[in-house]
Amino acid sequence: MSVASDSPVHSSSSDDLAAFLETELDSDSDSSSQSFPIEEAADDDDAEVTNHRLLFYLYLQALEFKCVIRSLNRVSQSSFRLKRRKLEHLETEDVASVKFIEEVSEASSSKLPCQHPGTFGNMCIVCGQRVEEEETGLSFTYIHKGIKFHQDEVTRMRDIDMKMLQSQRKLCLVLDLDHTLLNSTILRDLTPEEEYLKSRTHSLQDVSGGDLFMLEFMHMMTKLRPFVHSFLKEASKMFVLYIYTMGDRPYARQMAKLLDPKGEYFGERIISRDDGTVRHQKSLDVVLGQEKAVLILDDTENAWPSHKDNLIVIERYHFFASSCKQFDHRYQSLSQLKSDESEPDGALATVLKVLKQTHSLFFEEGGEDLSSRDVRSLLKQVRKEILKGCKVVFSRVFPTTSRSEDHPLWRVAEGLGATCATEVDASVTHVVAMEVGTEKVRWAIREKKFVVHRGWIDAANYLWKKQPEENFGLEQLKKQGTEEGEEEEKQ
Amino acid sequence: MFFHIVLERNMQLHPRFFGRNLRENLVSKLMKDVEGTCSGRHGFVVAITGIESVGKGLIRDGTAFVTFPVKYQCVVFRPFKGEILEAVVTLVNKMGFFAEAGPVQIFVSKHLIPDDMEFQAGDMPNYTTSDGSVKIQKECEVRLKIIGTRVDATEIFCVGTIKDDFLGVINDPAAAA
Repeated sequence: MSVASDSPVHSSSSDDLAAFLETELDSDSDSSSQSFPIEEAADDDDAEVTNHRLLFYLYLQALEFKCVIRSLNRVSQSSFRLKRRKLEHLETEDVASVKFIEEVSEASSSKLPCQHPGTFGNMCIVCGQRVEEEETGLSFTYIHKGIKFHQDEVTRMRDIDMKMLQSQRKLCLVLDLDHTLLNSTILRDLTPEEEYLKSRTHSLQDVSGGDLFMLEFMHMMTKLRPFVHSFLKEASKMFVLYIYTMGDRPYARQMAKLLDPKGEYFGERIISRDDGTVRHQKSLDVVLGQEKAVLILDDTENAWPSHKDNLIVIERYHFFASSCKQFDHRYQSLSQLKSDESEPDGALATVLKVLKQTHSLFFEEGGEDLSSRDVRSLLKQVRKEILKGCKVVFSRVFPTTSRSEDHPLWRVAEGLGATCATEVDASVTHVVAMEVGTEKVRWAIREKKFVVHRGWIDAANYLWKKQPEENFGLEQLKKQGTEEGEEEEKQ
Repeated sequence: MFFHIVLERNMQLHPRFFGRNLRENLVSKLMKDVEGTCSGRHGFVVAITGIESVGKGLIRDGTAFVTFPVKYQCVVFRPFKGEILEAVVTLVNKMGFFAEAGPVQIFVSKHLIPDDMEFQAGDMPNYTTSDGSVKIQKECEVRLKIIGTRVDATEIFCVGTIKDDFLGVINDPAAAA
């Protein structure tokens, strides 16, 4: 049976009409608009037939495979003969789609002066010509699944955007969802102690004002971080907001609905795992903002390997027990303790202050010329204020084998504006130690300097604020009984 | 553009549908299979309007299925290059705007929007002329010209322009309200 010859869709008179009309319309537009010379691919019958045959051969192979799978499902009738029959009648049913494959693959190369700045469904957005798949550039699937832009066009759009944003005194802010703005858990991972939450969920019909939601259809429960509504409201005045999550698209959209029921903050700027360009990484390449004007708020530093300078790392929000377990936390989750982060002093409130500070540095200080301004250096500047004026000496924190200047903690302390030293002198203000009884600690007690453990620096790093030294004394360290022995070599 | 044409299709029917209602079953299956699909040649099948003829059934060896060649009349919708279409704007952003005409999705890039129309960001992003008299935003109707089409198995993509005489907004429900 020859399928190619008697395929049902290639039917008689209507084809000719359609073809006729198309050529008529094409020639018409040719003469009317000189700006888009249209170069229709000449019909080469031979080539088309070969093409058709080749495609059909491939298609048959695919069908054969499909058949095998289907027949595996039906063990009862698995004779080879039956398979053959099945293949035959599948052919007639699916010939229509052979046609589609052909249509799609038939792309004409063009030698037009048009630069093809972007494509929509593989057609140039300026001249309407088909463009080869490889040349089409960066995919913006979060805007529309068929749209792609060339790198030059993206740069051009960013430049224009930058000017516009500056006139509105706005920057860009990319927000992570999980553990940053909210915490979600799968329903079956709820512990018995957390069952009480089910009666406290907020209705999905009117999400404004609520912060705990049961999403039955996704088998999930979601808790928004305290202060998130005020955070978004305030941040949207200073920033164009993006969502960038490692979750899939339906999840990202659903969460955006909870956070922004009126659609006033994010619009279509919701980027999910499906839209990213590199697997398991986040990158600013699909964000339409110049890198020097984009801030990122995320709980995972490793997700942004090439944009660490734009990143504000936020303390992870663990509301559900399953989320604590996922990160190997031994402590009880907030839901088990029936408590929550504080609204006015929580992590989001702290970050908002940092954002405000950076924003005002960008727009208010140093005259009118904004072109040289860069959020990355401003962010560093803001960080340097945190431990400004502190001179830190480390005692039994670094291993003796490596240079202390290379240790991450040393770098963090310097990033926070502290001066680091290896030997004590009169100007030293803090001694960071891991245990009591070292020479430097004894010296500090004698000289009435602060003695703190390394948590003091880590906390300042996460919370963007110098912490009271009393809370990080070595006595607390003993009480907690933490065994951080891996770095206990005398420096 | 809409066309009323005759198409043909081989329908596979399971023997449980044989009997007095065979023809009805065949037609309802045809409607289910065909309406709403696209083909590169004919475009989007909007509706089946009638059955021309149902040919002789052919029993497939080894299975009990029977194949009927069915000729049917249907209304198809197919956009053409150079055609003028009216469409509803669905999304506006700095790259341009998206519009829909039934099943067809059309993108009009910033390059093909008249130069005097500027993009305005905000919760209702739009393109507005400098005097503010014309505004393209979500939900408004535009008349545009198709400059390129692509037909997939389930979707039709078009690239359009409004940078030409007599093209652009034809009515704006937001402004009228």
